[in-house]
Amino acid sequence: MQEPSEPTSAAAPVAHLEFKAALLLVFMLLLVGGSALYLLYARGAFEPTQTLVLVADDSEGVVVGMDLTFSGFPIGRVRRIELAEDGNARIIVDVPSKDAHWLRESSVFTLVRGLVGGTNIRAFSGMLKDPPLPDGAVRPVLRGDATAEIPQLIASTKDLIQNLNLLTAKDGTLDGSLANLQAVTERLKGPSGALGVLLGNEADAKKLMLALDRTNALLARVDGLAAKADTQVFGQDGVMSETRATIVQLNTLLGEARASLKKVDTVLVEAQAVGANTRAATTDLGTLRAEVEANLRKVESLVNEINRKWPFARDTEIKLP
Amino acid sequence: MIRIAPPQDVLAQLGRAVLRWLAGWWRVVHLGAMILVLTLSPSSYSRASRQALARHMYLDTAPILLWFTVLCALASLVLTRIVVVTALSYGLSQYALEMVIRVLVLELIPLTAALFVALRCTIPNGAGLADMRRQGRFDAMRRQGIDPVRAELLPRVVAGVFSCITLAALSCVVALVLAYLAVYGFTLAGLPGYTRMFGHVFEPGVTLIFGLKTLFFSLAVSTIPMASGLYDIAGDGTRTSVELQGLVRMFAVLLLIEVASLMGNYY
Repeated sequence: MQEPSEPTSAAAPVAHLEFKAALLLVFMLLLVGGSALYLLYARGAFEPTQTLVLVADDSEGVVVGMDLTFSGFPIGRVRRIELAEDGNARIIVDVPSKDAHWLRESSVFTLVRGLVGGTNIRAFSGMLKDPPLPDGAVRPVLRGDATAEIPQLIASTKDLIQNLNLLTAKDGTLDGSLANLQAVTERLKGPSGALGVLLGNEADAKKLMLALDRTNALLARVDGLAAKADTQVFGQDGVMSETRATIVQLNTLLGEARASLKKVDTVLVEAQAVGANTRAATTDLGTLRAEVEANLRKVESLVNEINRKWPFARDTEIKLP
Repeated sequence: MIRIAPPQDVLAQLGRAVLRWLAGWWRVVHLGAMILVLTLSPSSYSRASRQALARHMYLDTAPILLWFTVLCALASLVLTRIVVVTALSYGLSQYALEMVIRVLVLELIPLTAALFVALRCTIPNGAGLADMRRQGRFDAMRRQGIDPVRAELLPRVVAGVFSCITLAALSCVVALVLAYLAVYGFTLAGLPGYTRMFGHVFEPGVTLIFGLKTLFFSLAVSTIPMASGLYDIAGDGTRTSVELQGLVRMFAVLLLIEVASLMGNYY
């Protein structure tokens, strides 16, 4: 019986054909199997995960397989998106257990749509010492849409451009201002210069110049007057020298007055001594008066006694010594 | 004087052409189904068949494996560099690698591998079969009780499929490694991010479509040229026309598979 492969036997025989073919087969199987294993590893098939359920009012832009990022690092992957009974979207995220410690009870989740690229789900954990997020936790997600403000931005920009157009129009205010500025510059370059611009016409500018000239003349005269006053005040026989002599005399007068006052002071001391003596004398007078009063009482009692013992005498008058 | 053919003759000609066209495609589909059945039946793998299969597998794959891989690596390197530099200039570098993988690994490399195998192996094999058929060797084999489909066609088709898948797999791996090196350089620091991005691109649906596409590409480039060689249309017996017919049919099928995969991936 003829070999089936005989018709193609024109080609040269290959040494160890079956071994080489088996080697190729094994190589191909290794390539495909290795790729499949790497794909499974990349899809997270070999690592334990915990589930996080994010509840959003709109899941637009969220796709299965997108990342949940924390500080820019992907720590989870969206596994499923479903519509809850209350009408909200439930985004079910698988978070590998080794990354789950970044999520805490106080973590906040945001859903942000950028201008370029896809939607991003981000987690923010302010307090990393809070208790970790449990498996199957349900959290609301805050939405931030960068494209939502585009119409408003465009409207504002349109207004701004319209205002700019009005400003820069041919008969606009900016054009008028520039024309005025040019006129002012022309007048600045004219014979009356800045004064002409400030005062409005040439006649007033001339008047001002005249006033300035007269002021200059007046100032010269004031200067002469000041020189004369200086001579009269501070000169040889000026007011200042006489004033100085007067002050010397006043000093002398003051010295004499001081001496007189000292004398008065002495007199006052003496008068004080007299006063003290008078006070002592006054005290003695009191004592003396008490004694006199005691003597008088004694004399009175004596007269009374005599009067009792002298019945003849009607005259009760007692002649005091 | 020009004689205008009556309308019924034109219609009859058109109908015959459509029927011929449909019959050609039916033969291709029928042969493909037959080959699949034979591939999956253990009786096809007798010792003699294994010898022929090993020979075709080795001769159809080993000589082109290195060259194709080198060419693919160069093209991948150039494309990766272009995409990465362009993305950097637009500030979109985070999407560069994903785009490289999607364009190169998912789309270009399987198609290139299929076309390379077709031009290098399966179309010449189909032409060889046509030669054998014209020389009457198939009839001789049938008289000896040997099924030419099982003896000559099956090893060539299986070898074509094997070659196509091996080339695509090796080139994809090389392209992935080169893309990583082009972006991150010789460091392992980017490996976690790269792995994550790889997993992100190869979602289950995308992976399924990628696998099916590679398989159908390999089946198309292996079966259609063989069918064209085996069932040569009568009166059209030149070798060039056989190759051309196989080529046109094959390109049409490849285009259809590519369009279907693109629709599956991106719509």
